[in-house]
Amino acid sequence: MSDFDLSARHLTTRQGIDTEELTGQTFPYQFDPSLVDDIDLEAATPGEDINWLEDIHLMEEDGIPAVFDRYTNAFLKIHFPVPEGREDEYARKVLVKHLQEGNSYGIWLKHKHAKFPQPELGSWLENSPTVGDNWKPPRLEGWEPPSGH
Amino acid sequence: MVAVNETSRPVRYDVRGLAEPDAEAPKTARIDGDSAVIDAADLSPRLINLELRRLVYGEDIRNVTITNPGAKHSVAVGLLARCRITIDGSLGYFACTLGDGPEIHVTGRVGWSLGENMMSGVVVVDKNAGSLTGAALRGGDLVIRGHVGARTGIDQKGGTILVGGNTGSMTGFMMQRGRQIICGDAGPGLGDSMYDGSIYVAGKVASLGVDCVEEEMGPEDHELLDRKFRIYRMDKPDTFRKFVCGKQLYNYDTLEPSERKLVL
Repeated sequence: MSDFDLSARHLTTRQGIDTEELTGQTFPYQFDPSLVDDIDLEAATPGEDINWLEDIHLMEEDGIPAVFDRYTNAFLKIHFPVPEGREDEYARKVLVKHLQEGNSYGIWLKHKHAKFPQPELGSWLENSPTVGDNWKPPRLEGWEPPSGH
Repeated sequence: MVAVNETSRPVRYDVRGLAEPDAEAPKTARIDGDSAVIDAADLSPRLINLELRRLVYGEDIRNVTITNPGAKHSVAVGLLARCRITIDGSLGYFACTLGDGPEIHVTGRVGWSLGENMMSGVVVVDKNAGSLTGAALRGGDLVIRGHVGARTGIDQKGGTILVGGNTGSMTGFMMQRGRQIICGDAGPGLGDSMYDGSIYVAGKVASLGVDCVEEEMGPEDHELLDRKFRIYRMDKPDTFRKFVCGKQLYNYDTLEPSERKLVL
């Protein structure tokens, strides 16, 4: 992680399930640690602890440091050099920033697939819009329910 | 689809299996500022949950107390926002499941599958919980000050389960991640077929399950234990033993799985 060269970073062209490929874009906080420095992890999570972030660690994907976003089931790569000894802290901050800004691809899908009314951004942001209040069960054209139902 | 409940009132289900699909929040809660009280005595679980969501999502109320819960099943499920819920009494099965953010305090007892599939949040139960507590737990803290039943944390994928008393048999069965802290004794088959994660036991262990081994405690283990006991204001036992996966079942080999179990 010592030789950080931004120009060498680009979206891969292979099929994959990385956040960058699913969303078709990168996000500034993947490249700039100053954008996540002020994230308060305890304030961002329930209880008096870091709660679910206790299970979030800095990992690696395609040889690049990455954090796993369980709401999308995809890795979010971190392209800035992470200070030694603070790997998990930065992984957690980048992930929380990603969620609070509503960029998790799995959250995007809520607009179409959420079946129950719920806050779009879950527990990470106050007053996020409600999604899922207009869900209709999909109907197969020409299909009729069997008699008796 | 129509079923009949115990009071002979027909209950309809929609294609999702959702009971009472046309039900609406009863709007019976007493609201006082940013707090509210729901009297659940005459409400079905569906109506209790609808009222909870109306208050938390719709009215932006972050402190809700439910009185007269009557050990009803599936109460306080699927809450996907930061809020504080107090259950003044006991709940039945699948209480406080599928949550992502709520902090729930149950002053009584709960049935089986407490906090199943919880993504994040805190659930504290003052008395005992049934079997399958924390089944498939994904994250968050699940604290039971009393005893719990069998297969606590089965298929646990994250989060922390803290038990003040004893646990039943097959605790941590197929555990994949996360932490369990048991202040009392653990029943037979502790950590059977666990894949990852850590189980800390202060009392006696009746027997270890397949591929569960003891490991030496490290500084990070003591830090975790000190922190959790401090946060939940519980008395920390003097000593703990740590149990983890022996990693002998990670891969199949030429032995049939059943034979391998016998060897191990």
